[in-house]
Amino acid sequence: MAAAAVQGGRSGGSGGCSGAGGASNCGTGSGRSGLLDKIDDKPVKIDKWDGSAVKNSLDDSAKKVLLEKYKYVENFGLIDGRLTICTISCFFAIVALIWDYMHPFPESKPVLALCVISYFVMMGILTIYTSYKEKSIFLVAHRKDPTGMDPDDIWQLSSSLKRFDDKYTLKLTFISGRTKQQREAEFTKSIAKFFDHSGTLVMDAYEPEISRLHDSLAIERKIK
Amino acid sequence: MLSLDFLDDVRRMNKRQLYYQVLNFGMIVSSALMIWKGLMVITGSESPIVVVLSGSMEPAFHRGDLLFLTNRVEDPIRVGEIVVFRIEGREIPIVHRVLKIHEKQNGHIKFLTKGDNNAVDDRGLYKQGQHWLEKKDVVGRARGFVPYIGIVTILMNDYPKFKYAVLFLLGLFVLVHRD
Repeated sequence: MAAAAVQGGRSGGSGGCSGAGGASNCGTGSGRSGLLDKIDDKPVKIDKWDGSAVKNSLDDSAKKVLLEKYKYVENFGLIDGRLTICTISCFFAIVALIWDYMHPFPESKPVLALCVISYFVMMGILTIYTSYKEKSIFLVAHRKDPTGMDPDDIWQLSSSLKRFDDKYTLKLTFISGRTKQQREAEFTKSIAKFFDHSGTLVMDAYEPEISRLHDSLAIERKIK
Repeated sequence: MLSLDFLDDVRRMNKRQLYYQVLNFGMIVSSALMIWKGLMVITGSESPIVVVLSGSMEPAFHRGDLLFLTNRVEDPIRVGEIVVFRIEGREIPIVHRVLKIHEKQNGHIKFLTKGDNNAVDDRGLYKQGQHWLEKKDVVGRARGFVPYIGIVTILMNDYPKFKYAVLFLLGLFVLVHRD
């Protein structure tokens, strides 16, 4: 009964979309091709032999699926943390540069020493942050509770693709806002399943995988 | 076209990713800068790594050798040691050997230098009216060297366009390439 309510909610949502009329991509017929048009002006094409480009394009597309199809709100907390640490490090470097320029070398020794040590300490903090806090998570999305009463549910996406390997692992983690318990689902597939021979990402093959991961976690939540 | 393909990646980045790319570039520059400043602090010398530019110290050092310098206050300058000094009004440091020293009771010294491969001492190079060098002119004392690597620096200075082209391409690559 709860699952049927979710389905009804979704089709009602896309009906409302075509009713609004203003949005250029909602009116293109079925919900599926509307999603494709929104994803990019043209399909993602990368060099299929470049491992990091492949991983980045798969990560970006998974992000787009979660954000656009399920309308979650992206939380930039993790990314902002990393940006702040990097900005502070660059700030120390700039301070050192300017101070040394204004007071030529022997007098600027203590300030320089301080800046250099702070810079390397910040580098250490950055390394710890990316290894332990970020942990290859590239998306944190919140599902806002419709009633506004319970805290948000959190969905996290993380992925890994080993160097020169073709097996891509995508892990979706669901943290319930209310009960704070964590559930995860993942799949490992060869990237050859998602790209055609020219390096274009085929959303038709990729999107169902993501939806399957998502639904397997969402359904468990409903049952509980 | 090749150029449009990799620019696509940039166009697809949102604001945060663009800022991260710029930060990435900044971090690489900052790391190099901080390592240089760190070396300056540790060795006590304004220019801890110098390249030998002329052949005046052959056969000890050849053009293009990289020298590591330290400039500790406690190390006394003695005859026979190789020092790197800067003449007032000139910015290029010179690497030569100490020939004579006059030392006062309070430790203040004046010294004369000469390149091993030169026929005469350096008085001709000093400033007009200056006959001796003092401690404040010294950039550092040579402690170690790596042969030949400095040739790249010499090339970059002789052909500045080459240097700018290399730096520009490297910068572009870092800014556009993700992770």
